[in-house]
This record gives sequence, C-alpha cells and structure tokens, in this order.
Amino acid sequence: MPKKLTFKQCLAHLWRFLKAHKIKLFIGLFLVIIMQIIYAIMPSIEGMITTQLQKDVGAMADHVPGAHIQMNIIVRILGVLLAVYIVKISSQFASVFLLTDSIQKTMEDIRNAVEVKINHLPISYFDSQKTGDLLSRITNDVETVSNALQQTLSRVIGAVCTFVFVSIMMFSINWVMTLMVYVALPIIGGISFGMVKKSQPLFDLQQQSLANLNATINELYSGFNEIVIYDQQAKAKEQFQTANEEMRKSGFKALFLSGLIGPMTALVTYVTIGCVALYGCLSVLNGTLMLGQLQAFIRYIWNINDPISQLSQLSNQVQSAFSAMNRLFTFLDMEEIVDVKESEPIREVDTIDFEHVRFGYGNELLMKDVNIHIEKGQTIAIVGPTGAGKTTLTNLLLRFYEIKGGRILINGQDIRTLSYHDLRDLFGLVLQDAWLFEASIEENLKYGNHDALRADVVQGAKQANVHHYIRTLTHGYDSMVNESGTNISQGEKQLLTIARALIKDPKILVLDEATSSVDTRLERRLQDAMDRIMKDRTSFVIAHRLSTIVNADLILVMMHGDIVESGTHEQLLARNGEYARLYNAQFAQAEEE
Amino acid sequence: MKPIWNFTKKYKTLLLFDFLSVFGFALSELGIPTIIAQMIDQGIERSDPQVIIRLFVIILIISVLGVCGTSLLAFCSTRISTNVTYDLRQTIFDHVMTFSHAEMEKFGIASMITRTNNDAYQIMVFLQTILRSAMIAPIMIVVSLCLVTLTSMNLAIIVFATIPIIVVGVIIFAKYSAPLSENQQRSLDSMNRILREDLSGIRVIRSFNNEGYEEKRFEKENTWYTSQTNKLFKMMSCTDPLFFFLMNLATIAIYYVSAIMLGHQSIEIGQVVAFVEYLFHAMMSVLVFCMVFMMYPRANVSAKRIQEVLNTTSSIHSGNQTLGRIKKVELRNVSFSYPDGEENVLSDISFEVRQGQKLAVIGSTGSGKSTLVKLLARFYDPTKGQILMNDQDISKVDLSSLRQELSFISQKPHMFKGTIKENIAFGLDEAIMEDIHEAAQIAQAMDFILEKENQFEEEIAEEGTNLSGGQKQRISIARALLKKCGLIIYDDSFSALDFKTDSMLRQALAPIRKDSINIVVAQRVSTILDADQILVLDEGKVAGYGQHEQLFETCQVYREIVLSQMSEEEVSDHAKKTHV
Repeated sequence: MPKKLTFKQCLAHLWRFLKAHKIKLFIGLFLVIIMQIIYAIMPSIEGMITTQLQKDVGAMADHVPGAHIQMNIIVRILGVLLAVYIVKISSQFASVFLLTDSIQKTMEDIRNAVEVKINHLPISYFDSQKTGDLLSRITNDVETVSNALQQTLSRVIGAVCTFVFVSIMMFSINWVMTLMVYVALPIIGGISFGMVKKSQPLFDLQQQSLANLNATINELYSGFNEIVIYDQQAKAKEQFQTANEEMRKSGFKALFLSGLIGPMTALVTYVTIGCVALYGCLSVLNGTLMLGQLQAFIRYIWNINDPISQLSQLSNQVQSAFSAMNRLFTFLDMEEIVDVKESEPIREVDTIDFEHVRFGYGNELLMKDVNIHIEKGQTIAIVGPTGAGKTTLTNLLLRFYEIKGGRILINGQDIRTLSYHDLRDLFGLVLQDAWLFEASIEENLKYGNHDALRADVVQGAKQANVHHYIRTLTHGYDSMVNESGTNISQGEKQLLTIARALIKDPKILVLDEATSSVDTRLERRLQDAMDRIMKDRTSFVIAHRLSTIVNADLILVMMHGDIVESGTHEQLLARNGEYARLYNAQFAQAEEE
Repeated sequence: MKPIWNFTKKYKTLLLFDFLSVFGFALSELGIPTIIAQMIDQGIERSDPQVIIRLFVIILIISVLGVCGTSLLAFCSTRISTNVTYDLRQTIFDHVMTFSHAEMEKFGIASMITRTNNDAYQIMVFLQTILRSAMIAPIMIVVSLCLVTLTSMNLAIIVFATIPIIVVGVIIFAKYSAPLSENQQRSLDSMNRILREDLSGIRVIRSFNNEGYEEKRFEKENTWYTSQTNKLFKMMSCTDPLFFFLMNLATIAIYYVSAIMLGHQSIEIGQVVAFVEYLFHAMMSVLVFCMVFMMYPRANVSAKRIQEVLNTTSSIHSGNQTLGRIKKVELRNVSFSYPDGEENVLSDISFEVRQGQKLAVIGSTGSGKSTLVKLLARFYDPTKGQILMNDQDISKVDLSSLRQELSFISQKPHMFKGTIKENIAFGLDEAIMEDIHEAAQIAQAMDFILEKENQFEEEIAEEGTNLSGGQKQRISIARALLKKCGLIIYDDSFSALDFKTDSMLRQALAPIRKDSINIVVAQRVSTILDADQILVLDEGKVAGYGQHEQLFETCQVYREIVLSQMSEEEVSDHAKKTHV
C-alpha cells in the first residue's frame, strides 16, 4: 500500500487543481476579507447613533436650551450605514459567485482526472479493490472535499479575520473590557475543542455501531429467504434488536455530549457580557465610556465568540476533508501503465506464439512455462477446471497483465513493442458477463467501431442472430439498454455482445465462457452466431461445455496454470489423459442409482 | 410525516420537558438584552450604581438558568430522537419479518436496507433539529415579538413589515431550489452509473480501445452536474446575506423612527438598544426556522419511503392446520401471475409426486420453473388452482408448520456470519456434531471443509467471499439435509458444481431419496436423467411430462434442450448404459 500523504502534500495536490481557477479564488477570498472589515466596523457605526441619541436625550433631560434630537446628524450616520450595508452585500454576492465558480470547476477537474485515472491504471489494481469500495471513495470523497471547500474555506478565513478586526475594534474602545473578553476566549476555546476531542471517540463508536447495524441489516435482508424457510424470524428480530440497541446507546452519548458544547460556551459568553455590562455601565457613569461604545462592544462579544465555537465544529469537517483528500490523491498518484509511443500497426495476424511465458497474479507463479504456437485462422479451445488459468491466458494476450517471464509474439513481434491501441485493435472480446452500457442498442453495437453505418450495424446484428429480436423491441435499434441491462435477457445480451464484436471486425476473437449463462434454447442461436463469427478468424474459445470444443483445431488443456495437454479432440481422447477424464466426467451417470 | 409524529407522541414527558426547556433558552437570549436595557435606563440615566450591580447579579442568575435549560433541551431532544429512530427501525424490521417473498422482491434488498438504515437516520437528524432548534424558533419569535410590541408599537410595525418579505423569499427559494437539487441528485446518479459501468466493463473498454470515448461520456455528465451544483450552491449561499441585508434595512428604519420618537420623549434610549437586540435574536430564530423548512422535503421523502414499507402487508396468510411429514405433493391446475403482471407465469400445471420419487423440472430461463417450486414453499400463492400436501391444501396449513416440513435450497444461497458449522446447523441450535458431519458428507462438502484451517469452525467471511459458488451450494445442501424433511426442493442448486462433484453428490443422495420427495430444478440434462418424472416447461406451460426416453421421442422442446448439451451418440450411449 502507498504511504499516507502528509497534510502539506495534500494541499500541494489540491493546489495543482485549484491553480487553474486561482484568479476567481483570490478575488473571492479578498472580498471575504473586505466583508469582515465591514462586519467589524458596523457595530461601531450603529453605536455612534446610540451615542448621538443619548447625548441629545441627556441634553434634553438637563433642559439645555435649544436641545433637540439632531436629525441631520442622525440621517448622515444612517446614510453611511446604508452605504456600508450595500458594500457588504455586494461583496458577499461577488465572493459567493467567484468562490463557487472556482471551487466547483476545480471539483469538475478532479472528477475528470479520476475518470482518466481509471482508464490508465493497470487492471491488476482493480482485482484487489472491491468495485463498490472504489466507487464510494471517488464520489463521496469528491463531495466531501467540495463541501468542505465551499463551506469551510471562507468561514475559516472569515473567522480569522473577524478575530483580528474585532480585537482591534475592541481595543480601540476599551482595553479593560477587551481583557475581560480575552480571559473568556481561551475558556470558550478550551471547552469547545476539549469537548469535540472528548466526543470524538464517542462519534467513532457511533460510526462503528452504525456500520455494525448496517452489516446486520444487510445480512438479515440478504438471508431473508433462508430466515423464512427455516422459520427463524424471531431469532433475526433478536439479532437486529441487539445491533439497534447498541446504535441507540452510542448515538445518544455522542449526540448529547456534542450538544452540550453550545450551552457550556454560552454560559461563559453570558457571564462575560454580564461583567462587561457591569464595568461598562459604571464607566459610562464615570464618563469614561460612551453608551454607544458599550452597545457596540457587547455586539462584538457575540461576534467574536461565534467564529470560535464554529471553528471547533468546522475542525471535524476539515479533518474528514483531509482524510478524503488523502484517499483521493493517493488514488490519483497511483502509477499508470506505460505505453509505447508509436508502433507499426499489424495488418494481418499470421502467427501467435507464447514462448516460455511465466505469470502470477501475486508473488506466486501461476504459469510456470507456457508455450503455444498458433497459425492464422485456427480455432483454439481452452479447457480445464476453474482456476486453471484459462482466462489468464487470454488476459495476457491482450496485455491486461504483464508477464513475468518469456515472450508473447504476434507475427514474431513481441507484443510489448506494440502500443496498447495497436495491440487491442486486433481483438474482439466476448465475455461471460455480457457488458453493455446505458445507451441505445445502436450505440452499444457501434462500440468497437464508432464510424459504422446503420447498415453495418444491421448486418452485424443479423449475423449474430439478434436482428429479429431487436426489431421486436418498441424502438428497435434506438431502444435504450438500462443499467445492468435488466430489460434484456442474459442470452440476448450475449448475442448483442457478439454482434458488437462482429461490427468491430477483429482479426482475433476471444470468447470467454460466452455461452455458460445462456439458457438452453437460446444456445442454438448463440452457437450458430459463434460459428459464423469464428469463421476465417483466429479464435480463442473458453467454454465449459465440451461439446462446443470438439471441432476446434487445437485444444489446450490447462491445470494449475500450465498447459498439460494439447491437440485435437481425437488425439487427446486417444491419449486417455486429463482431457479424456474431463470429457467422460460430463456424462458420468450415477449407474448405481 | 404522520407516522413520525405517532412515534414521537409516545415520549410525552420528554416532550414536555423539551418544550419547557426552550423557555430557558429564550430567557437567557432575550432576558440579558432586556436587563442591559434596564441597566442603561435605570442605572445610567438615573446615575444609580446600586441598580447596576443588582442587575448584574440577575444576569448571572439568568445565565445559569438559561444554560440549565439548554442542557436539558439537548438531553431531551437527543433522547427523543434516538429513541424514535430506534423504535422506527425496530418496527420496520419486525414488520419486514412478516413479509413474504413477493413483498421483499417488490422493494428489493438494496432499497430495504436504505429504508431501514438511512431513511431512519434522516428522520433522526430532522427530528433533532426540530426538537432542538425549531422548537426554539417559534417561541423565540413569539416572545421577542411580544417584547418588541411591548417596547414600542410603532417600532414593532417595522419588524412585522419584514415578515411577509421573508415568507415570500423562502417560498421562492424553495420553488427554485427543489428542481435544481433534484437535477443534481439525478446527475450524480448518472455519474456514478458511468463510473460503475467503467469499472465493471474495464476489459471490454480496453479491448475496444474506448478509454477516450468513456472519458468524453463522463465529462459530459460531469459538466452538467457541475453546472447544477454551481447554481444550487450560489443560490444557497446568497440566502444568508440577503436575509441579513433585510435585517440591516430594518435596523436603519428603526433608528430613524426611534430618533423621532426620542424627540417626542415617547421612548427611552435603553429601550432602543434592547429593541435592536430583540430584532437581532428574532431574525436569527427565523433563519433557523427556515433551515427546518429546507430540511423538511428531504425528511418527508424518507418518511414516505418508511411509510410505504409499513403500509405493505404480507400477501401470504398463514392457515391453522398442522402438517405432518410430507409424503405426497400434488398440484391441481395451478396458474400463477405476479400481482402487476398481465400474463401468466405459469398456467394450468398439474402433477403428483410421492415419497421416494424424484421430480425434475426443466425448461429455458423464463419458463417459470423456479417460480413453480417457490409456490411449493409458499413464497407466493397460486392465482388459480390448488397445491396439496398429504391431501391438505397448503393455504390452510400453518406457515411455520409447512416450512418445518420442507427444505428449500436456492441457486445462490446466503451464508450467514459465523462458522461453517453454524451455517450448516442454521435454525437447528440443538443439532449434534455427528449429524452435521453426516450432512456435510452427503453434500460432498467434507473434503473442502477439512482442508480449511479450522475445519468446521472456520469463519465464513461476509457474503461468503472466502467460499466458491459451488462450496456455498454444498453447504446449503448440507444445511437442508440436516433438517431431514419429507420434501426437499433443489432450485437449480447444483449449477455451480463441477460434473464430477455433481455426479458424486447424486450418488450420495440416493439413500435419502428413498424416504423423501425430491423436486429438482435444473439446467443440466445430466442432473435430471435419473428422475422418476420429468416436467418440461415452456413459457409457463407444460410442454411434456414423463420419463427421459419417452420425452426424448415425443417432446420437441425437451429434445432441443438435450441436444444442445449432448450429441446424438451420447444420448444413445446413455440409453444403453441405463438399459444394461
């Protein structure tokens, strides 16, 4: 496994993607700072009004001659205030637009990079990863990073600015009251971060219970048939209840503890406000403080506390964003397959040779010494028990995996000197799980040859015995194949993949257990189609139905990764070896019964 | 949403405390500005330091009371929401356990898992927000509006004027954001689908040199997704500033009006300060309330999905007769169609099997053979006709009693978490080791079990990933044999076995067949050649019923099936062998 990336490396990676949209990002962030300055000034301006009002009211109360509320001053201050509000909302809007644009574009780039990466990793990578795991990683992680950047970035910067600017404003009003706040702040910070830290193991526990509950539900629902048949509903309920109860307990603990953060910090805030109000009111009485300044100061206390308690909650989001980035960038850092830059495309395949090929998926060798010689137009059948390496052989031929020794040659040329494109251009692949993607049937059929005309497509479908079936669908060739192709039976899907291979018109055909999941009556149609497509082509056929293989030019019998016998059906039967055993086993009846 | 309320109602005391504790919050949030206003009006304006100190003490008392209130609020809201989620999950699960096959299939396992887990979780989050924040909002709004009105009617009018603007704003927002977020969700699904396709089809894609094509396909969806997300984020991030801007405008109006009022001496300066504070808190509460408003649609979808499960009742009803050991199974003119299906999956099927006999069912996929045997275990009930066991109509038999008397082995059996032994003894806690060994022996599972490091105590990985398909089938056969029932149904449960194991298994099963009924669904001709009766299905109808030789001569469908797997010589070879 690759090493974990450091915090710095993650940021460096992220920067690589952000760089492309940096202008919008920087202007957006600059506006956030402007906004914070305004935010810090606002209470003071509002306080100026109060001070002015108090002065006038005081004068009126003291019966100073001509004392009245000086509306012209008030209106002037209100005008300034309005201007400040308008600047604030404009900069907020502008920064939201700029930041969202740059962040979302960055996310789009990252997602595209992931897709490109998938196509450039060696296939062996996907053997060890569960598909679902990989998928959830990619989509969830990008979402996590996106949300974190979108919500956290401006808030973290905002919080830091608030702290600095508000502190300046507070000091400019009264340093004694500011010191009171500075005593309270570490307490609030301590409570918030302390409790977040304390609740972390509880949240981990909750996460575990959730995973456990999920696993239990998954298990019990997947085993629903067995539970019903064996009349085990009561036991299942009990099992579920245990997991559910555990979830309730751990969920309550985690949520309650984190729910206490708010009240606790609020207590400190309230007490601070009380102290400031006490000291402030007395100072106003002494005449050392204006009433409006006191009002502004109290608002500053709210303002400075808010980001601090927010930061402690944001720290969770930042943490999960970093672990998401870590996984994401580790994936994007994986070593890609190296391709030959240019090669001479092969026009005709005359010979294919395996020379002393050695191969293993892990460290252990599966194939120790494989040697095959194939001539143009031959049909090669590969037989053997599961795990004998039948599919591996064709995987190596298409260079899905790298061999560990020996050579594979086409027309005497090592396939490693060919580009992937030129090599794979020679092949048509029909696999057991008939893979189609969500698009129209025509698009699926044209998958190997995007320039094919409708007439070519129809021709291919006819040859594959599937044209008639397509015509019975409501929209014919324009009918959509839905995900996992549930609207088309497995057999028809298999025929479609054969048609797809035909339309590509490959030099070499690989049929990997193409008939095994097809029901018996369709098999005739399939067999016909296969016979037709294999004609005049070099073909590799893997099948567990021995009757398919009898007519092959060359039968390779594989055991434990190596070829133990090869020859025609008659030759092999005459040898009375492994092949004969396999062949007879199919029809071994239980005579004793 | 109604069912959620029904679940919540149960916790009356907690709800009451939740409600009361909200006032604690209101007390501190609104009480402190009120007292500061008094400090200004009574202390500063009248130059009385004593009052200021007294009021300071009151602030401290209110703070402590307020914190007690909010802590209690946190406790109650968390208690209620976790309890309701627990109840909800338990109710769903218990209800699902009463389902029959048809209901389970209707929802699908994946969807059922989401409903039990994620949807319940969504409800919990929503409930917590409501109980914690949303309960606060109305009370804060009402209390602060009261205070506002009490302070000054003229100023209050300004505050009231903003309310319709906020309401209209929220409605407009909801109207535009809903389709956007739907688009976004759908586009995310499509993107995930393409990724899934790219992973599952990786070999095909590479063999067709279509990496670039796939990248373009993904990029197109990605661009669309980004544009939708972009709009949605912009819209969401603009609501807060707009809201505060509205509040700012109201503040300006308040200062202006109060300046005039101060001129007339119809208000005191402290009241003005308090008023601005009230406005600030009232608006904050409205903002929180809007959040609930935005969360509602999502929670509502979850609630609906849960309700859908709870409203579904099992289509299979248990009878009250008890069934003894099954010695005879008879189908009389049975037809079946799925509830929403127009065409019959099975039409007019009749047969009779007795103890000691083996009935094989064969036909192409979609011919209804699997459905037929599922009817026997009452996964579904026939739409027409009768199924009799020991001459009792099974719809009148108690479900537990029926299922105790038969074994059903499916093609893709489920392995439970636990050891191999526990999996074989599933449902039979008192099974003795000897019997387990014997069952494993017959099921041809002994060899591979003994090869495992811990043998019978070997842990089976989740979903049985450390076992091959054939090994799972053999364990499930052993599991079924351990029950020693009168009727054993094999629903294509030899499909993953290699030919050799298949034939050895059939030999080992011979003694058991003597005192039980065996019904076998199979794809392979070799599996069924020795059956006493063969039922050939074609598109849900009986295409042939009899023995191999006879069917091979007379039944076109059967002949086709056999010849697709064997050559003519092999068929006659077999005929010779059996006749020797």
